[in-house]
This record gives sequence, C-alpha cells and structure tokens, in this order.
Amino acid sequence: MIRLTSVELRRLIARRLTVVGVAAVLLITAFLLFATWRNSQPLTAAEQQQNQVIFEQIHKDWELHGEENQAQCEKDWESQPDPKPTLEEMCNYTEPKLEDFGRPKTVFTEVIPDLLLGSSYLLAFAGFLIGASFLGAEFSSGAISNWLTFEPRRLRVYGSKLLALAVGMIPLAVVVLALVLGGTFLIIDHLGTTAGTTGKAWGDLTETAGRAVLLAAAAAALGGVVGSLLRHTAAAIGVAMGYVVLVEAVFGGFLTTAQPWLIRINFDAWVKHGTTYFVDKCQTSVDGGYFCETVEKTVSFEHGAWYLAVITVLLIAAGAGAFYRRDVN
Amino acid sequence: MPELAVSTRGLRKTYRTRRGKRVVAVQGLDLDVPTGGVHGFLGPNGSGKTTSIRMLLGLVRADAGTMALFDRRVPEHLPEVVSRVGAIVESPKFFPAFSGRKNLELLADAIGTPRRRVGEVLEETSLGERGKDRFKSYSLGMKQRLAIAATLLKEPELLIFDEPTNGLDPAGIREIRETMRALGEQGRTVLVSSHILAEVEQVADTVSIIGHGRLLASGTVAEVIGGTAKGTVKVAVDDHDRATRILTSAGLTVRADGNYLLVDGAEHPSDVTRRLAQQELYVSELIPVRADLESVFLELTADEGLGGDR
Repeated sequence: MIRLTSVELRRLIARRLTVVGVAAVLLITAFLLFATWRNSQPLTAAEQQQNQVIFEQIHKDWELHGEENQAQCEKDWESQPDPKPTLEEMCNYTEPKLEDFGRPKTVFTEVIPDLLLGSSYLLAFAGFLIGASFLGAEFSSGAISNWLTFEPRRLRVYGSKLLALAVGMIPLAVVVLALVLGGTFLIIDHLGTTAGTTGKAWGDLTETAGRAVLLAAAAAALGGVVGSLLRHTAAAIGVAMGYVVLVEAVFGGFLTTAQPWLIRINFDAWVKHGTTYFVDKCQTSVDGGYFCETVEKTVSFEHGAWYLAVITVLLIAAGAGAFYRRDVN
Repeated sequence: MPELAVSTRGLRKTYRTRRGKRVVAVQGLDLDVPTGGVHGFLGPNGSGKTTSIRMLLGLVRADAGTMALFDRRVPEHLPEVVSRVGAIVESPKFFPAFSGRKNLELLADAIGTPRRRVGEVLEETSLGERGKDRFKSYSLGMKQRLAIAATLLKEPELLIFDEPTNGLDPAGIREIRETMRALGEQGRTVLVSSHILAEVEQVADTVSIIGHGRLLASGTVAEVIGGTAKGTVKVAVDDHDRATRILTSAGLTVRADGNYLLVDGAEHPSDVTRRLAQQELYVSELIPVRADLESVFLELTADEGLGGDR
C-alpha cells in the first residue's frame, strides 16, 4: 500500500494538470495578497482633507439641529405601530466623530478570518478539480485497466489513489495558507494595525488554517471519488458545478431553513469553528399586516464536523464499492 | 495432469445494454491453454474473446463458472499469480501525457521491479530512443511495442495478447508475430486472441476456436484442421461431364470450379487419377487443396455470423 501510494504520488506530481492547478492556486493567492495590500493603503492627504471638510459640516449640523432632531424622532417613535424598533435603533443622534469618516485602518484580526475562509474555498475547489482529473482521466484513457493487470487488488489501488491525493494536497494547502497568514500580517503590520494579535489569536488562526488544510485534503480525495464514479473529469466537474448551482444556491436560496444541511454552511462552520446563517421569519401582525424579520441562526462547529465527516465517509465508501465491483472495460 | 496456464469451466458473462436488454457475451466457455508455446484464441468479432480475457484478468466479473491461471483459481487468487501474467487487452492503454519510459517506470515501481529493467525492456522492444517521447506521440506500432515492453517488466510466464495486430501495417504485423513466436520459443506461454487466422496459423502451436461465447474446437493446429476439414482435390481434365459421372459413381463429391473440378472425399489424390485413368480420362493437373485454419474457422463459425451477440 505504501509503495502504491508513493507511485501514485509521483504520478500526481508529474501530471500537467496538477502543475497547472498548483500554479493557478499560487497565482490567485498572490492576487489575494495584492488586493489586501491595495485595500489597506492609508488615505492620501487630499482624501484626509476632504474627510475633514465633510466632518466639520456634519458636526456643525449636529450642533445646530441635533437635539431638535432627537426630540422629533422620539415623538415619531411613539406613534410607530407594534412591533416597533427600539428607541436606540431608530433615534441615534450621537455626536459625530472624525474617526468615523473615511476608511478606517485595516485591522489584521478583523480581515484574516475571511481571507482564510476564502483561501480554504480556493484550496477545496482546486483539490476537488485535481482529484477528479486524477481518477477521471485514468478511467477515460483506459489506463486503469492496464494498471489493474499489474495490481489487481482493487481496494488497495483505490485507497492508494485517494491517499495520494489527500497527502499530495497537504503541502500545497500549507504553503498557500502560510502565505496568506504571513503575507497578510506583513502587509497590515506595515499599512494597518496588527494590534490585538495575541498568542491566543495566533493559536486560533493556526487551528483555522489546520482545519482548512484537512478540508483541502478531503476535497481532493472526494474529487477522486467522484472522478472514479463518473469515469470522466468533465463529468465529475459538471456534476459538482451542477450541485453547487442547483442545490447550494437555488435550493438553499428558496428553502432557507435547509441551510444547515448544505455543504457550504457546514464548510464555514468547520473552518470558522461555528457559523451563522439567516432565515426570514414571516408572520401576520395584529392589524392584519404581513411582515418578515430576518433571524440569525447558528450552525455549530460540531455539527459541521459531523456533517462533513459523514458525507466524506459515505462518498468514499460508495466509491470503494463501485471501484471494487464494477467491470473495467 | 500437467499444469495448465489457463483453464476455464462453464464461464459465463452477460451484459445489460443501455436499453436494458441482456446479451450473452460468454456462455459456458470451457478453455484449456497448455503451458509453453503459442495458443491461438480464435473467434469472430464479438464472439466473447476479449470478455473472456478480461474475466481472466479480473477486469470483468464472471456471472458463473470457474477460471484458473496456473491452477490457481481467479479472481480469488489473482494477486498470487498476477506477477506471472502479462497482458495487453485490446489497444494499449497508458497515460497519454507521460513518456513511454515514465509509464513503464510507474508500473515497475508499482510491482517493485528495478528501474534498470525499464531500460532493458525498452531496448528489447526497440523503443530505447523514443522512450522519452510522450505516449500520445507514438505510432500504433510503437504503442503496441510499449505494451509488450510493459508486459515484459514482470518477466511473465504467460503473455496474453488481445488482437495484438489491430491497426498495424504489414511490417508491424510481422514484428508482433515474430515477437510472439520468440516468446513462445523461450518457453513462455503466449495466448493470442485474434480474428485474423493467417497470422495465428503462422505462430500458434495450439488453438481454441469460439463462437457466441462457446468453445467450438480446440487442439493443435493439425488436429483442428484434420478433425474438421475434409480433403479436397482440384482436378483439370478435358471432359468435365464424364469425369463428374465417374467420380460421383465412386462416391466422391464433385463441384465445378471454373476450368477445374473440385473433388471432395478422396482419401488420397491418387484415388482420383486412378479412377479417371481406368476410364481413359487423363488428368492434366492435380492440386491437393490443403485445408487451412481459415477454412476450418469459417466452417465452424458459419452459424455464428460475422459478429457475435455482444
């Protein structure tokens, strides 16, 4: 098994699509860092001057009409039908501050979670693509039949291919996530602020990156499973894309309560150690009006972990059954 | 009983078409391939040759029956004997974007064969200079040679070639034929499936003929020809009508064939000349028509049509 896996790893690394995929992922990572650098640029002197002018105008207006506006708003609030927003929500006429105008400084701990999540999507997608091609092309070219005449123990062959994909994906994921973490830190340390990046914050970020690495490895293996089931790279990618569009986007959009059972939400829950989603809760009010409110719901880390583990195990088992039993022509 | 390289009993395989119809590819095939020499596995297109080979190699599941390679039941014990078997099933299938050498290196590594063996088999199959080129840039003949090189990585005792000359030019066909003959003379067993009789007849020591997934005849080439075909003699004589009457009255079957008569059933060609000479009819030409594998094959598979039922 170890020998077979190492052979499959060598084949994986030697494939052109793997090389192209790795290059594309590294290029996108570079763009991500470039975008972070651009968005973290401090304001120019002209922009600061313009902000100062706007702030002074608004502050002057607040000094002249603030109390008057507050009183009028409170009066309006009292006449609002139930259910009405809180007074603080509706009437917030606090004194404007200069720091609220213009772009605030970029804070490392605020932007990095989303960057890590985005990178984990990128890695999972790339892993799936590389995995689907790795097995799909082997079936479509017929090379698998030749391979099986050298090693007929099919489950070993299947296991070695998935293991090679998962193991092969780890270094790429580690490099990309290290680049994102390190690169973003350096950029924001220079242009924004890294204050508050404590040892615990680094620990949390490392754990997040670790979970993203595992997810990328699993995505590569699952790509291999789908490639072997459909026996063609294009078919595997087509089915995956179809699922994302029809189920995750369309179905998930219409049936918002089904979101905890969508891959994307559980993906987020796993990477971010828990996530939230929103559902519209609609009802008829006492005066006969129909209104909706958006309610925030939570998907726990444990839910995401179990969901993804079950999906992974089921797909790998289904792929193993098909690989073991299916005639190879 | 001597060890058989291949043995099947009651082997059966059915496929379901996309329309849901069941078709029988192999039905109750009993096949024995002795060790050593070249064994031709003959049958029309679609007669079940490739399916049978795929079943032997564990690529396709049999619905019923038993199979053995070197007296070990397969597919259960295939991992134990697979190192003794090299096979090319239909067209050679490798990773197209990798070089011939890279393809062989991966296979060699997978079975723990030393890398130096890759260079050796490339040289043996005259691919040494093109080893670094991509597989997809190879001609069909080179692909076939690479497939043979791959089988030789294991130094197998049994080589299975499925339609090895399909698409090859005459030089390529001769090359493959000589390779098969040489492998057989080295003491290896070569099982070659083909529907091209002439190529098999030239190299095979023993043959099995199948049609509709069933064994129709088996044995040495001489046995199969002798056991099935009847002696025929081509006769040139002046008076066809008289000659026909004389020979027919002697119990022989006579057919016109242009300027000749074709006489079936004579135990020896001299019987024909003697009977005609006794009636003062003298033969100007007498050509014994040697039964060949092709005629036997066509006779045996006459009811099978050109294709099988796959």
